[in-house]
Amino acid sequence: MPPMLDWVWLVVVLPFLGFLVNGALSFFRPKATRAISIMGVGVVVVAFLVALAAAAGFAGLHAEEPVLVHLWSWIPIGALDISLTFQVDALSIVMLLVVTGVGMLIHVFSIGYMREDPGYGRYFAFLNLFVFFMLVLVLGASFPVLFIGWEGVGLCSYLLIGFWYSEKANADAGKKAFIMNRIGDAGFLVAMFWIFKETGSLAFQEVFARAPSLLAVGGPTITGITLLLFLACTGKSAQIPLYTWLPDAMAGPTPVSALIHAATMVTAGVYLVARTNVLFAMAPVSSAVVATVGAVTALWAASIALKQWDIKKVLAYSTVSQLGYMFLGVGVGAIASGIFHLVTHAFFKALLFLGSGSVIHALHKAYHHTHAHEDAQDMRNMGGLARWMPWTAGVMWLATAAIAGVPGFSGFFSKDEILAETFAKGHEHPLFFVLWTVGTITALMTAFYMTRMMLYTFHGPNRTGEGERSHLHEAPWVMTGPLVVLAAGSVLGGLLNLPEVVPAGAGWLRHWLEPVTAAGDFYRPEAHLPIGTEWLLLGLATVVAAGGIVAAWRLLRPEALVPAREAVPETGLARILLRKWYVDEIYDAIVVRPLVWVSRNVLWKGVDAGVIDGAGVNGSARVARGVGAIGSWLQTGQVGTYVFFFVVGVLLILRAATRT
Amino acid sequence: MQIDLSTPTGAALGLLPEIVLTVWAMGLLLVIGWRHSDQRLVRRLGAWTVGGLLLALGVVGWMWHRGVEPVGLPVMLALDGFRWAAATVFLLGALAAALLAIGYLSRERILVPEFYPLLLFATIGMLLMGGAADLIVVFLGLELMSLAVYVLAGIRRRSAASAEAALKYFLLGAFASGFLLYGIALVYGATGSTNLYAISFQLAGGGGGNSVMLGLGIALLLIGFGFKVSAVPFHMWAPDVYDGAPTPVTAFMAAAVKAAGFAALVRVALIAFVDHAAAWQATMWWLAVATMVVGNLVALAQRRVKRMLAYSSIAHAGYLLVAVASATPSGGAAFLFYAFAYTAMTIGAFAILSAIGRDGESEVLVDDLDGLAQRRPWVAFAMSVFMLSLLGFPGTAGFIGKWMILSTAIGAGQTTLAVALVLASVVSAGYYLPVVMAMYMKPQQDSEVADRATVLGGARVVIVAAAVALLLFGVWPNRALDLARTSSRELSAPAGVMIGLPQE
Amino acid sequence: MMESLFVGLGYERWALNALLVLPLVGALLVLAAPAARAKHVALVVALVEFAVSLGLWWTFDAGQSGMQFRFAAPWIPAYGIAYNVGLDGISLFMVLLTTFTMPLAILGSFNYIKARERGFYALMLVLTTGMIGVFVALDLFLFYVFWEVMLIPMYFIIGIWGGERRLYAAIKFFLYTFVGSLLMLVAILVLYTVVGRETGTYSFDYHWLLFQSSIARPWGIWLFLAFALAFAIKVPMFPFHTWLPDAHVEAPTAGSVILAGILLKMGAYGFLRFAVPFFPDAAFDPRVASIVITLAVVGIVYGALVAMVQPDFKKLIAYSSVSHLGFVMLGIWAMTTQSVAGAVMIMINHGVSTGALFLLVGMMYERRHSRLIADYGGLARVMPAFAAILTLVSLSSIGLPGTNGFVGEFLVLLGAFQTHPVAAAIATTGVIFAAVYLLWALQRIIYQKLDNPENERLTDLRPREYAILVPIIVMILWIGLYPKPFLTRIERSVNEFVTRSVQPVGPPPGIVRLDPVPEAE
Repeated sequence: MPPMLDWVWLVVVLPFLGFLVNGALSFFRPKATRAISIMGVGVVVVAFLVALAAAAGFAGLHAEEPVLVHLWSWIPIGALDISLTFQVDALSIVMLLVVTGVGMLIHVFSIGYMREDPGYGRYFAFLNLFVFFMLVLVLGASFPVLFIGWEGVGLCSYLLIGFWYSEKANADAGKKAFIMNRIGDAGFLVAMFWIFKETGSLAFQEVFARAPSLLAVGGPTITGITLLLFLACTGKSAQIPLYTWLPDAMAGPTPVSALIHAATMVTAGVYLVARTNVLFAMAPVSSAVVATVGAVTALWAASIALKQWDIKKVLAYSTVSQLGYMFLGVGVGAIASGIFHLVTHAFFKALLFLGSGSVIHALHKAYHHTHAHEDAQDMRNMGGLARWMPWTAGVMWLATAAIAGVPGFSGFFSKDEILAETFAKGHEHPLFFVLWTVGTITALMTAFYMTRMMLYTFHGPNRTGEGERSHLHEAPWVMTGPLVVLAAGSVLGGLLNLPEVVPAGAGWLRHWLEPVTAAGDFYRPEAHLPIGTEWLLLGLATVVAAGGIVAAWRLLRPEALVPAREAVPETGLARILLRKWYVDEIYDAIVVRPLVWVSRNVLWKGVDAGVIDGAGVNGSARVARGVGAIGSWLQTGQVGTYVFFFVVGVLLILRAATRT
Repeated sequence: MQIDLSTPTGAALGLLPEIVLTVWAMGLLLVIGWRHSDQRLVRRLGAWTVGGLLLALGVVGWMWHRGVEPVGLPVMLALDGFRWAAATVFLLGALAAALLAIGYLSRERILVPEFYPLLLFATIGMLLMGGAADLIVVFLGLELMSLAVYVLAGIRRRSAASAEAALKYFLLGAFASGFLLYGIALVYGATGSTNLYAISFQLAGGGGGNSVMLGLGIALLLIGFGFKVSAVPFHMWAPDVYDGAPTPVTAFMAAAVKAAGFAALVRVALIAFVDHAAAWQATMWWLAVATMVVGNLVALAQRRVKRMLAYSSIAHAGYLLVAVASATPSGGAAFLFYAFAYTAMTIGAFAILSAIGRDGESEVLVDDLDGLAQRRPWVAFAMSVFMLSLLGFPGTAGFIGKWMILSTAIGAGQTTLAVALVLASVVSAGYYLPVVMAMYMKPQQDSEVADRATVLGGARVVIVAAAVALLLFGVWPNRALDLARTSSRELSAPAGVMIGLPQE
Repeated sequence: MMESLFVGLGYERWALNALLVLPLVGALLVLAAPAARAKHVALVVALVEFAVSLGLWWTFDAGQSGMQFRFAAPWIPAYGIAYNVGLDGISLFMVLLTTFTMPLAILGSFNYIKARERGFYALMLVLTTGMIGVFVALDLFLFYVFWEVMLIPMYFIIGIWGGERRLYAAIKFFLYTFVGSLLMLVAILVLYTVVGRETGTYSFDYHWLLFQSSIARPWGIWLFLAFALAFAIKVPMFPFHTWLPDAHVEAPTAGSVILAGILLKMGAYGFLRFAVPFFPDAAFDPRVASIVITLAVVGIVYGALVAMVQPDFKKLIAYSSVSHLGFVMLGIWAMTTQSVAGAVMIMINHGVSTGALFLLVGMMYERRHSRLIADYGGLARVMPAFAAILTLVSLSSIGLPGTNGFVGEFLVLLGAFQTHPVAAAIATTGVIFAAVYLLWALQRIIYQKLDNPENERLTDLRPREYAILVPIIVMILWIGLYPKPFLTRIERSVNEFVTRSVQPVGPPPGIVRLDPVPEAE
């Protein structure tokens, strides 16, 4: 094993070190922002370099088998032997680079964004901790180790969403995220138990090796296991029905949204499906469920994104929608395409979030100067910002082009591949044609709402306010710098995995991932599209993207907008979309409230206090006392009474005596 | 040491403890007749009584140690370990009562010197009951004891309640004695003998005689004893009498008098009718359950300490009935140990009550003990020991006693009775613990109880001795257990041998 | 190296006796000391006790089966009663948990206990002896005595130094336990009598009765139920749990810590040591087993749901204990190596984490004199360190992987799923509810606006409080990340338990009996 791989644990340890140091600093030296910045960013940068080295080392290996790095035996008892082992293979390398790379850029951005925040040290401590857990997640060589990271990132997301905990809303959002994830995690746990029951192991290699021989393809067991795993994914990756936490998660600082709730953590579900693609391949039903849920979520979220005013909410729902695409991809068995979209999405969505971040930053500062209490995230308070923030506007247009699927940009290729493979699967089952249609419509909507966002934010007249306008300005380089790098990624990311139709360097990522996906592909009929169809689909995608953008450009009138303060409330469908189909309200009404009510009034006040204590415990005591009282009441003091009882006793005894 | 009871000297030797006490009591009576009674005399008589009891105790101890055995058949009085063990318990009880009385009488202005001779005569009666080998002797001792106790119960002449209680006691007691006597008569009629061993031999030989008559006789005997040991439903007198009597007398009755009744009952049940257990075990079973349940439940409803203790003593009678109901010698052992432990704890409790009370203490409420622990830590500690021991809590002799009764019952296959016992003692926690609670956990209130709580010399000795004994035998009961077992084994000696027939 | 040191001292022979006697001596010292010094004396004694107990960790031989550190001396030979003590992998950790918790509990009472300090600390030490005794007794009579004696100090601690409704809580606690234990006494005596009659050997020796327990099979179900009731009340299993919230809430901090940390474990320990091994075919009789497992699962969910709606933080933790102990019961009855080992791990973890939670509540209470969640909010601003630690401890109680809580729950559920998939699956939802009630409480206490002026100038943790909490944090992370040393020590005993319960035949290993009397009656 090349030396770089021996050191791969360093990638994990460094961010944790950062967490410890920054955590300590935040308590004892909260003002030492410079030290905190250096520590917080430094560790991730070094981690990224180590990751690069590891990647190079692994590439040099041309290994079909993953490289295992055993650290120590964690939970050994009886037949169960869980060890803390890291696994370096094609898939984890990709994730490793995304997490550390994008993570690094976002850390740098944060220096500028969070500078004035009193919780600076705490922020970087949490951010480092997140990177640590995320790396454990992608490197774990067994389900439990992956689960450490899985819940760890959930914890960090909880801590960072509620970073400004003084606001109840923020704390609520954090709690909501954690609990929704926990629901999924329960599924994950049960899946693990089941896997252990069937295969007697929890280490990826052993499970994947044994499953085919032990489990019937398409059988209830494998289907159950995979569905439980997917339940976990819907929690972590914000899919129907557990997606509602992600939009609320925007309560956190914007770089957090970029890193955790766009680029990395929320894609963990996709990673999990890709990682366990063998199991999903063995369970076609589950795969279909994954694809369907993905497609439906994509459409659903896109519809909501159409009408949001909060710039971050738009991006949040767009993220949910894009994640839906990824699940559609891995669901139809296009593992590589799913991962491909994951990577490109990491670039352009991170870019979009950071861009919106610098916009919000600018508005926030402006309002801060004039002590105005306006919503710095509401697009109706923006408009025409391109004039003050040319860089931000420029790079965000590139990202928009990418996500909208403008030909040549990264998103175009990744999204098209997913749709193409879905279309190809249509020959197996018409369902996939439906899904393809849904995906295409979603693509149209995506192009539309993204253009809408750009229009309202950067173009048309400015609605920020007279006094504030003078304070608007471009963000400092620490913030714009990362944007530029990400922009490059968004534009060129497509090169990673060009479609077959392209003569040279097509499908690099696919080939790279071969070792991981091969086992799964064994179960899937090779669905190949004729070149002609490929071209047709590419063309269609182009039309769709163009159509969305143009439509937005034509239909929407930024000039007509008024600042949020004066805006009239929406009505009809617009209102329903703005209120996100009232899903939160429905959940609250049918799940949360009943549960609390029953727990308080039936279980606690009823069963506990009423039945067990009232009737049972205290009741018996009361009865005993009562009987005693009667007894002492009979103690009249009258000899007559005494003789009476005496005689009664005598008679009873004599009766008994004469019986025998 | 062998004694030939047919010779006068032998008989005298066999009766030595009783004789000693009788002479002593007579002496005291003469003194009382001579001297006009005043505080000093009463107190001095108390001291002499203590001396006399100690002497008797010494005699008993000596005879026990020498292992006195009869030559030929024990016609009237048995000379066995059980007698000595029982006698020890009675004498200790009387001793404690006398010690309490010394200070108490003068404090309560009860200038009745006859108190002490009566105490001694009662004790003599008990000794006879504990040693009786013949139903006639049982009756003799029982009456001797009862008559003395009737008077003692009413010795506070100024208190109407006390007098009334004493009268009730006397009337009902006479009533019960009648049953006992008639029972003896019937048994005699059925078996042609009043000697316990002879009866048992008769029954063992199948010469059951008229079994209906016998059954009735046994039943009537049970009623008679049931009254003496205050078994439900013959218990109604007990609360009133215990309430009305001066506390030292109450203690004496609750402990020694009851123990004496049980001693006689054990002898009769385990010697005479052991082979005829079927006839009385069921009845005993019901008596035990009823007594435990009623005693504990009613005690739960009491707020006045003295009355609560009265009912608790009824409950404990129920526990002892469980031991007897087993109809095995280990029942005798259990009885001996429990009687000893119970004497210590109940007299201790009454001693503390007498220390903190006034005018017969019947008015002292549990609440009056609030916060006693802060002002009088040692008194509170002793009281807690007594309460926990009464509760049968491990670490105290009370637990060992209860444990012996339980294992006896289970050994005899009466598991249900054992379960009833433990459930009953759960209830008892409901009234013993509040006492501890009041002393330790409630804020101390300015009731004069705590301030006036003056533990007089005699009482102090009793309390300390009782507490120490309870803890000691609770942790290291071996010696006492062995004594109890060995001395109760002799009860099961083959009747034939006892009445002098050649062993085949 | 440590091991050789201890062995050199002849540690095996005197260890347990020392652990049992030391606190009693300490109690006398405390009573003798001036009131102001009492707490310091008690702390020193507890620390010495802990130091002595540490030897067990090194000298315990994980490879050896059966009991270790045996010591036996006759007590009441006439009835086959002996002072007979020993340790196996399970009781080892119960003892260590006790000795680890006591110093923290005592240290946590320094400011809390203002009145009658001598008595309090003396009782704490007596309690220590009682608890250790329960865990090491290998004679049923001795076990019963310890089991009961330990009630009294706790009764006084709740009743004297407790909150407003302390009297009710104290007597409720006492009576509840008393009912169960008295029936258990009857069961013990029946077992003793039956075995004695059959074999002619009357003895309360644990191994003897275990060896012969099959004789009592006809009475098995009843005897089991009698034992089970006593233990189920102590655990506490739904629906015998209602003493717990009252006792927990009213007890002073130290009392709650010990109740949650150690006393509750005695119930589970009783099942592991007595009830199940003695009467396996009663315990795993389909009806009994299904009832127990149902109650366990109900307890898990019920406890969590009721905890969710508690306005009083202490009560919330109390109900969370019901939920956690439900996992333990499930683990025992699932009867797989993993699940039983997991149950033991939860017993340890719950002791650490819940104990810590009660200590933290105590620190809140000392500052604000309120346990109501509503009175707090935004503490993270004024007490950041406190908030951080409270968060960590809550996470360990939630069972976040990497903390101790996860290891136990994971093992229990994983093991349970192998034999009772449905029950395990339902129980897993408890993991969700745990997050709900703790995070909700956490949010209302340390997050949100600091709107209550009384909370404005609360001081953050002081050195003494750090001294209490740091050891706990170390344990949380250690067990969470490297539980192997614990599991290796537990595994063998667990396997013996499982194998014995599955086919109860042959003499238990390492049986060393005193010569019992040939005949008692």
